Amino acid sequence: MNVSEAVASRRSIRAFLDKPVDREVLARVLAKAQRSPSGGNTQPWNVIVLTGDPLAALLARVAEVIPQGLAAYSPEYNVYPPELDGAYQQRRFGVGDAMYAALNIPREDKASRLKWFARNFQAFGAPVLLLLHTKRYMGPPQWADMGMWLQTVSLLLREEGLDSCMQEAWAVYTKQIRESVEIPDDHIFFCGMAIGWGDREAAINRFEVPRAGIEEVVTWQGF
Amino acid sequence: MTNSTTVTEAVLSRRSVRAFADKPVPLEILRQVMDTARWAPSGCNFQPWEGAILTGEPLRALQDKMRATPPQDPKEYSWSDPEVLPECLARLHQVGADMYAAMNIERGDKAARADFMSSNIASFNAPAVLMVYFPRVMGAPQWSDVGMWLQTIMLLLREQGLDTCPQEFLSLYAKLIKDHLGVSDESHIFFCGIAIGYRDEEDPVNAFDRKREPLDSKIKFLGF
Repeated sequence: MNVSEAVASRRSIRAFLDKPVDREVLARVLAKAQRSPSGGNTQPWNVIVLTGDPLAALLARVAEVIPQGLAAYSPEYNVYPPELDGAYQQRRFGVGDAMYAALNIPREDKASRLKWFARNFQAFGAPVLLLLHTKRYMGPPQWADMGMWLQTVSLLLREEGLDSCMQEAWAVYTKQIRESVEIPDDHIFFCGMAIGWGDREAAINRFEVPRAGIEEVVTWQGF
Repeated sequence: MTNSTTVTEAVLSRRSVRAFADKPVPLEILRQVMDTARWAPSGCNFQPWEGAILTGEPLRALQDKMRATPPQDPKEYSWSDPEVLPECLARLHQVGADMYAAMNIERGDKAARADFMSSNIASFNAPAVLMVYFPRVMGAPQWSDVGMWLQTIMLLLREQGLDTCPQEFLSLYAKLIKDHLGVSDESHIFFCGIAIGYRDEEDPVNAFDRKREPLDSKIKFLGF
């Protein structure tokens, strides 16, 4: 698969087939992803990859506290900036609106929306969940390095025919994650990535995700 | 590299290129890459990235200004805190040592520093440079989004036979760059430049072996 195809065919997959992923495939992808760049060659990423019983145990632990709602949340960073202007809010709500429209869930049906949101914490049925953490002293530039690494992994997974969904949502259950897997105290938990074979027929994997036009992103000088 | 470049080939052949061939980059290729890179992911679909790509006279004019100006104080942001990053500092020094060894250069700190400054300001003579900035309101997770966009661009450029060097160095001139581009310093933070061009295959600075931590030190598999 060439790079363009991988970039164009990668999307957040929110329904997976019931089919396991071999450790060898994941080890191959992650070994290649070690070549991802980082400022000063810092390589700030640290990763735990879960499947089978350890994954089931984590999902069960989180399921116990979901009924507590916001009271159970324990994020260690702000997933969204506290102050955000309208254009970015629009982009954020645009995805949600497109997704719930594809599922035929009306805006006012909060209960159904919440039920779908909770599927985040089943990793959307993916057989594998990757958890990414880094030392707390890492600053924003090292978070950019982690982003480069995440996208390297998601594109290499496409090449293997695999799909993924990056999930910052897991940050809200950092406490339960720390109870289930060993993340050192001097590390911060960033995000999860659900990995598996996407059910590409499912409506939730087929809606169109909007993107800003190129003229909103780039200006050109001297060409 | 061609349109049949696989993701693996792009990932493994991408390296920070610090010597470029004297050959311009066609606008059409860059437009195509930047257009495809819009599909990079971002939390909440924020797409927080913004950038300007310079070549020719506007690029040279900016580089002349940088040469005539000391690095800004205070810094735009901290690259890293050496007090708390001992392991990382060791990795950085290793890259520097390997690079200078490849160039067969033995020199005092002062000469090495002058060379580092001037070659970075010139973006290693790359014909095009992408300047990357975004709203200051964005937090650490959005820096990660910008990182995903940048790696997408770098891999798509490999597919077009092009090479890159990401340069956080250019943030030393963040205000000057934003002023040159007409970008508001109040609303936007400057992150980095990406030097873009064709690799000079002969130059040893593009050939030294880069170290990476072994996989087992970074990844734990559970339940497999």
